[in-house]
Amino acid sequence: MEAQFLYSLITGIFIGGVAGYLGSLMITKRMALVGDALGHVALPGVTLALIYGFSVSLGAFPILILGIILIWLFEMRTKLPMEALTGIVFTASVAIAFLFLPEEKVSTALIGDISQVGAWDTLISAILCILAFLVLRKIFSKIILANLSENLAKVEHIKVERYNFIYLLCIAIVVALGIKVTGSLLMGALVITPAAAARNFARSFSQYSYGALLIGSICCVLGIFAFKFFALPAGPLVILVSTLIFLISLIFKKK
Amino acid sequence: MSEVILKVKNLNVELGKEKVLEDLSFDLEEKEILVILGPNGAGKSVLLRTLLGLHPFKGEIIWKRNVHIGYVPDDFDVPPDLPLNVKEFFYFKKTNSSQISAAFQWVGMKNPPDFLEKRLGTLSRGQLRRTVIAWVLVDKPSIILLDEPMVGIDIQGRESIYNSLVRVWQKQNQAIILVSHEIGEVVKKADKVLALNKKKLFYGKPEEIITPQNLAKIYGSAISL
Repeated sequence: MEAQFLYSLITGIFIGGVAGYLGSLMITKRMALVGDALGHVALPGVTLALIYGFSVSLGAFPILILGIILIWLFEMRTKLPMEALTGIVFTASVAIAFLFLPEEKVSTALIGDISQVGAWDTLISAILCILAFLVLRKIFSKIILANLSENLAKVEHIKVERYNFIYLLCIAIVVALGIKVTGSLLMGALVITPAAAARNFARSFSQYSYGALLIGSICCVLGIFAFKFFALPAGPLVILVSTLIFLISLIFKKK
Repeated sequence: MSEVILKVKNLNVELGKEKVLEDLSFDLEEKEILVILGPNGAGKSVLLRTLLGLHPFKGEIIWKRNVHIGYVPDDFDVPPDLPLNVKEFFYFKKTNSSQISAAFQWVGMKNPPDFLEKRLGTLSRGQLRRTVIAWVLVDKPSIILLDEPMVGIDIQGRESIYNSLVRVWQKQNQAIILVSHEIGEVVKKADKVLALNKKKLFYGKPEEIITPQNLAKIYGSAISL
């Protein structure tokens, strides 16, 4: 197996896993589409990275942080619903990106290209994924309790605002990494679909979240192998594998 | 002599521009049970949340040092499709299985083993209520605040929960503050009753407070027990 393919595979396993794990939390918090919207918010950063030839995740991350801060500021100022403000920020981001995005890079920006990751990129992605996973695992139960009853969580000395901030930061990191695999357009599915499939199989929360992690990784492995054999773009294949697993999971869904 | 666990002096709470609580003063000692009565919108839940530090206020709320508070909120709804099961919910707190089964006994449920595997979202309202109360009790807080805890629980269940609360907690120096609509069996066991309608209406021993004339003043029309 050639080194380049191995790098793609390793990157995919780690990113798919942590995205699935995060997805189980995001679906629980009814925030599944946030991943999708943020994938679009990141586009100007992805565009910069593609023009100047550095890692798309590196380009995406600061723009994501900026986007999240903007949404948060707008919300403080206007009290409009979060989803409306997210809509404004993400469409503006797409518009800005397309003013500068070179035509030959459009597909890489939108559906990703994991065939070009290098050794360093792989290593850094893996480390960030492990870190994000460990942080998420630590805050998991607190976020869920706050979601069930914020007052109860506060009485139990959980700093709800602080944990929500850490959680948003993890989302930004995972979205920035996921764009490498599936691009801005498809990133949302990497968070939603494996977790949704796992929910159909799961009988407990740990089965749900770790199932989502496993399915996320498996989707990336199968998708990247399919890319190798069919010479079709990897991003869409990864997503279609996860859609297939979701369809299979419907059979197991307990009524 | 028992120690004072909570002292409230000249408490005022405004939400938005509206005065929700005016000039409340009361206190609570260890082992005591305080029942807060009042019509809907009287500010009972707001009072509990203010005591817990969840609302801004003017005046004084002084808790005993290092007090460990347990809170049973009135809003605890679980989406039916959430895969969280009862055991996982208890593991949010650092508990072991013997503590969990003890907590379930306190709320009158004796068969936790297969119950622990059930999803929270599939429990009936009454079961969920008892589970939340057991969850709050499991790490033995020194005072528990319960907001309408008996909603959705059958009469038998109410009796058993309330009896076990009184029994278990008074043995261990725990105090209880209970917000309730009911003026039946619950109030009779209380040490103090605070009748509330934004302002303090009555405050004292249940046998002094619970008279038909007072109830008419609290709830606005004649009520008999």
